[in-house]
Amino acid sequence: MIYLDSAATTLQKPEGVARASAWAIGHLASPGRGGHRPAMAAADAAFACREAAARLFHVEDPERVVFTFNATHGLNIAIGTLAGPGSRVVVSGYEHNAVTRPLHRLKVDLRVARGPLFDQAAALEGFRRELDRGADLAVCTHVSNVFGFRLPIEGIAALCRERGVPLIVDASQSAGCVPLDFQALGAAFAAMPGHKGLYGPQGTGLLLCGMDPVPLLCGGTGSESKRQSMPDFLPDRLEAGTHNIAGIAGLLEGLRFLERQGVGPIAAHESRLIRRMGEGLEAIHGAEPFLAKDPAVQTGVLSFRLARRDCEEAGELLGSRGFALRAGLHCAPLAHESAGTLDTGTIRASVSAFNTEREIERFLQAVRELS
Amino acid sequence: MLYYLIVCRSLTYAQRTAAALERAGITARVLRSPKSISGEGCSHSVKISQRNLPDALRVLQRAGLSPKRIFITAGDGSYQEVAL
Repeated sequence: MIYLDSAATTLQKPEGVARASAWAIGHLASPGRGGHRPAMAAADAAFACREAAARLFHVEDPERVVFTFNATHGLNIAIGTLAGPGSRVVVSGYEHNAVTRPLHRLKVDLRVARGPLFDQAAALEGFRRELDRGADLAVCTHVSNVFGFRLPIEGIAALCRERGVPLIVDASQSAGCVPLDFQALGAAFAAMPGHKGLYGPQGTGLLLCGMDPVPLLCGGTGSESKRQSMPDFLPDRLEAGTHNIAGIAGLLEGLRFLERQGVGPIAAHESRLIRRMGEGLEAIHGAEPFLAKDPAVQTGVLSFRLARRDCEEAGELLGSRGFALRAGLHCAPLAHESAGTLDTGTIRASVSAFNTEREIERFLQAVRELS
Repeated sequence: MLYYLIVCRSLTYAQRTAAALERAGITARVLRSPKSISGEGCSHSVKISQRNLPDALRVLQRAGLSPKRIFITAGDGSYQEVAL
C-alpha cells in the first residue's frame, strides 16, 4: 500500500515512536501521581516532551505546553475560554468542523473572512475587513486540511495584535510541516494534534497557551489536592485525569525526529512531492487538481477531482489498487464552499516525510489508468 | 545530611527548577513534598544540599523562577521554613 493520507494521520512514523510507546506501557506510570521510579520516569518523559515542543514552536515556558487528546480537544478549550453567546468571531473560509462546530454550539456571531483558494492577499484583506467591523476573537487555520492552502497567519496575527483581538491558531495541518513561531505570532492559543506532522501516536495533542485558559475538564491533577477548584497554574489547570503517557512517550520521539530532520527540509520535501503530483495530474485528461500557482502557498496536501467520477467512488477504486487517500468533504464543508467543491467533494492526497517520488509516479500511473 | 526543599507550585515547575539548577552544575532532585509542608496538599519539591542554597537562589533568580517556599530539614526529621 502507498499511504497518501497523512493529513488525517501519519501512518509511517520514525522508528523510535512505536518502540517508545510500547516501552512506556510497561515502564512508565502516571506523572505527579507518586514519587516512585515509574511515576518519576513518566514525569521526566512528559517534561522532555514539553521542552521539545517548546523549542520547536518557540514557547518560552514549557509549562505553557499542555497535553491534550487531539487538536479538537485543544480547540474546544481555547474557544470555550474566549467565546460565548453573541461573541463576534472572525474565521477564515477554510476552517475545519473542529473550529466551526464549537463556535456554532456557543451561538457566536460568526463572520467568515472569505477569499479565493490560494489567494493569501485576499485572505488577509478578508480578515482586515471583518476585524474592522469589530471582533471579540479570531480563529484561523494555519493550513487548510483540504487543499494545503497556507493561510498568511503571520499577517493575520499582526492584524489581530494591532486591534487587540485574541487569535486562536488551528495548527492541525501545519505543526511539524511548516515552521510555526508561537512567540512571534503573539497568539492566545495554538492547538495541534500529535499524530499528524509531529509523528506521534493517535490520542495525543498539544495546546500552546499564550493566556490563562478556562478548563474544559475538572478532576485530579496530583497537585493542590485539598482545593476543590482546579489549580490556577499551567499545565495542571488543563490536565485533569491520567495522562496518555504511552502516547506522550511516542510523541517525544516524533518531536526528536523533527529536531533531527528539521521542519524546513521536511516542508521542502513534501512541497516537491505535491508539485510533482499536481503537475502530473494536470497532464491527465479529466483530472482536475487544485494546485497553487505559487508553491509557497501550498503544503503537502492536494485535492483533485476526476471528470465523471464521484469522489468517493474514485477514492474507493484507488484504494482497491493500493493507494490510501481520503475522499469527501474532509470535515471541512466551509473550505469546500470557499473553493466551490461543496457539491462534489474532492479526493485528497497528502504526503509526509516518508513518501517518495517513486510512490508519486506510481500514484499518477494509477490515476491515468482510471481516467 | 541536612538539605533544603524548594517547594514548587507544580510538578512541571519543579522540573523546570531542577533543570535550571542541573544546568548550572547544582545537583537537584524532584520529589513529592512531605505532607507536613505541602500546603494545599500534593505538591512537588526540589531537593538540594545545604551548601548549595545561595548558588541555587542566584541561579533561579537569573532564570526567572520563583520558589514558593523553602524548608530545611531539622535533626528530628521535621522541616523548618527558611525566610526568603
